[in-house]
Amino acid sequence: MRDLLSGNYAIAEAVRMAKAQLIPAYPITPQTPIYERLSEMESQGTLPGVMVRVESEHSAMAMCIAASLAGVRVFTATSSQGLALMHEMLHFASGNRVPVVMGCVNRVLAVPWSFGSDQTDTLSQRDTGWMQFYCEDNQEAFDTVIQAYRISEATMLPSMVIIDAFFNSHFIEPMDVPDQRLIDLFLPQATLPERFDLNDPAFISNVVTSGAQFLPFRERAFTDMEKAKEIIREVDIEYRAQFGRGYGMVETVQTKDAQLVLVTSGSMTSTARMAIEALRDKGLKVGLLKIKAFRPFPSREVEDALQNIPKVAVIDRNISIGKEGIFCQELKSALYNSTARPRIYGYIAGLDGLDVSPEIIENICLEVLGKEMPDNLPIWVKGN
Amino acid sequence: MVEIKFYGRGGQGLVIAAQILAKAYFLIGKYPQCYSLFGGERRGAPVMSFLRVDDKKIYLKCEIKKPDRSIFFAPDLIDEDEIERTLKPGGFVLINTPFDRDHFKGIQGLRVAVVNASAIAQEEGIGTAINTAMLGSYCRVAGDIPMNVLEEVIRSSVPGKIEENVKSALQGYTMTTRISEGNDL
Repeated sequence: MRDLLSGNYAIAEAVRMAKAQLIPAYPITPQTPIYERLSEMESQGTLPGVMVRVESEHSAMAMCIAASLAGVRVFTATSSQGLALMHEMLHFASGNRVPVVMGCVNRVLAVPWSFGSDQTDTLSQRDTGWMQFYCEDNQEAFDTVIQAYRISEATMLPSMVIIDAFFNSHFIEPMDVPDQRLIDLFLPQATLPERFDLNDPAFISNVVTSGAQFLPFRERAFTDMEKAKEIIREVDIEYRAQFGRGYGMVETVQTKDAQLVLVTSGSMTSTARMAIEALRDKGLKVGLLKIKAFRPFPSREVEDALQNIPKVAVIDRNISIGKEGIFCQELKSALYNSTARPRIYGYIAGLDGLDVSPEIIENICLEVLGKEMPDNLPIWVKGN
Repeated sequence: MVEIKFYGRGGQGLVIAAQILAKAYFLIGKYPQCYSLFGGERRGAPVMSFLRVDDKKIYLKCEIKKPDRSIFFAPDLIDEDEIERTLKPGGFVLINTPFDRDHFKGIQGLRVAVVNASAIAQEEGIGTAINTAMLGSYCRVAGDIPMNVLEEVIRSSVPGKIEENVKSALQGYTMTTRISEGNDL
């Protein structure tokens, strides 16, 4: 069925249809409409699961972990400071190998306080052992929540389904909401191991007494995250067969003959599609590489896409202070030992939801095409 | 593609107005994309809502800087220089005001329509919720949404006083005047 939904409501709809059984959550702008919509569904009796109003995001994740260990399919959502407060529990989640799915709406971290999008909140959780999927629009956010349950429950690794504040979370657009029957076929009810016995409660976050005991846990998680790549690909192929939409870990647009490939993630990718089209109309050989999966990082796909590409421009709506844009640095490291060795130009744009128009993106491309060598530091784009 | 910008104050129903219009365009088979600037949504604070409408999927995930249609719920928010600078050729301005079109001398040469939506809403007993009167007026000026479609969406969208809101929309449609210089409706 076609429906008009915001990115937040699209995620809430997917959570309802995925039949998440327990949803502990705490409100924070711009994620709050996910929480509100799920509460509304619960009050109308259309939510298969139960919501719990917890006292903080830290508690929300603690409850997700405990319920997941007891075999329950769970969901929570957060943004910015809420995600930062949850940080400690994110490690507990991945360490305990619970397949939690969390909706994250990118918002700047204080200080200064603000509401606009900035991926630094989720990218700061890079090393917590969670999978991360950056979505471009409402439809992709919906589809990715459904896929994420399949992926997480197959790998026993938690995932974040990530959208931009405002440009996704609050943009209302038409999208396709599949039949519940088809969702049920694709994502049957959870059959998770019950690792927590309510009749014989015990401390489940095990203690080891030496590095030799510790190492295999991390090594196993690492190996399983590598294996997750294949599962992500398979689930996406199956989803496309079922619903006619798939996304891949990355997507390439007109990269084959490109002199310059633009690299984007999240909502900016849609605007970039228009910019690429306009540049192509002017006869410029420019392509686009959208990075959807950030953890696990799609090194193979990125290498393949950038073989024989002379120049790459990465636009980051995030910043690692003391280095550069985070997608830019990840991209460079993925290519260092590869045969694909483009010159990589880093741009910081759209922080705090600063507008990134097609014209801004076109100008970035034109600047890079006319520039011999990349700067050592990222270039800050301040809007038009 | 048509880009529409709504200017008003918290409490006037501006956010809902853009959503109702989006639904109406959706029902007649268009692709609408609608959003509001959030963060400062308080009664009395300036609020802006935005709507893009096209026949095909809209990829732009950025702000509307140059609208085709500017809708002022609060006339004190009018910046005549900004309108002249940003309104796209062929576009129009719709203003909620007790004055007639000639009152807005700074925007000569543009298509401007006026409607006293505040008075209509008062008359219909819905207070400061002028959004339905403004939408009725919008349908008259834009001419691309049938009134029965607007009425259908209003009936399924407004939280209360449905008949009053429907009447308000019809009044808004009827009471709109002066679309362009020497070309009365």
